[in-house]
Amino acid sequence: MYGFEIIQELATIMSGKELIVSSNGNISRQVYHYCPRPQIYLRGSMGLPISVGLGLALARPEKQVLTILGDGNLLMGMGSLSTVSYVRPSNLKVLILDNGVYATTGEQGTTSGTLNYPTLLDGFGLPSIVPILKNDTTENVRGKIQIWITASELSVLPALVDTKSPKLNNIPLHPEQITELNRNYNNKLHIR
Amino acid sequence: MINPSEFLNFLREKEFTFATGVPCSYFSRMINEIEMHQESITYIPATREDEAVGIASGVAFGGSRAFVIMQNSGYATIGDALTSLAQLYKLPILLFISWRGLESDHDFPEHSIMGNVTKEALVAYQVPYWELTDENWQLTIEMALTKMEDSSRPVALLVKQGVF
Repeated sequence: MYGFEIIQELATIMSGKELIVSSNGNISRQVYHYCPRPQIYLRGSMGLPISVGLGLALARPEKQVLTILGDGNLLMGMGSLSTVSYVRPSNLKVLILDNGVYATTGEQGTTSGTLNYPTLLDGFGLPSIVPILKNDTTENVRGKIQIWITASELSVLPALVDTKSPKLNNIPLHPEQITELNRNYNNKLHIR
Repeated sequence: MINPSEFLNFLREKEFTFATGVPCSYFSRMINEIEMHQESITYIPATREDEAVGIASGVAFGGSRAFVIMQNSGYATIGDALTSLAQLYKLPILLFISWRGLESDHDFPEHSIMGNVTKEALVAYQVPYWELTDENWQLTIEMALTKMEDSSRPVALLVKQGVF
């Protein structure tokens, strides 16, 4: 199973109540191409997607905030696991797509291979779902995403995935437009 | 000294509902006050200052307001959080930065170099800033907020020892 396939699966499960924060590089591109729009596509600020997701979840309690990041981003912002565990917003869900490499910059290795996710997350006091494994069936993966997305509390879903990123065009939006689109979209929803 | 309770009421009136950051002893009375009144402004302790800017950015994406507390040593760590997130995405955030490394900190050499370049570092990252003193503090904050709103970007208030 590749990371982008999990994002494609997620797209079929989303109900419209979710707001995605995606991390810089391939993951933001994949979320832009495969999921309903608009979402919050981060382009830089490596290490901060979980923090952005936390702030958003607190400000928008009526939304399910899904934060999607890779192992490189996770390792750079590991402290944010402690912060989210402490604050514990029930509408924050974190999906870690661990392919063991910095895929966007040319697949240089990360140090994530030694992590034991269930133990790590448990140590941080974080509720987590049984990790998605590389040889899980599609049904299995869909089931884990479903449990994660409908969890009644803060929940982390780690996924060990194969490395391959489809060639996708850059996101054709300036970050200012990303902010603007989200603001307009959410205002419209409020008016309805 | 600025009265912490008046200060928080003032920021609450300016629609700040969240605060985050990493403490400085200069802000200890203010942080105590926030933590005692979580129903008014929710305080989220961050592990690093760039994380705090990330949290405040998320709050701003969600249409609410957050202010961030840090030392200038912490300001030294938020360059990417500013330039590739808060400034790039046009997110209004109010930063309170303690100005360590001045005369009163002569026994704390860890702050001396950053203390000397704090203003230059704010200018370099194009963060508009004001020095906050206990005189006319409401007016200073209002000036900063006007700039924050007009530019839809982070602005900073520099705070020396003894203001809070």
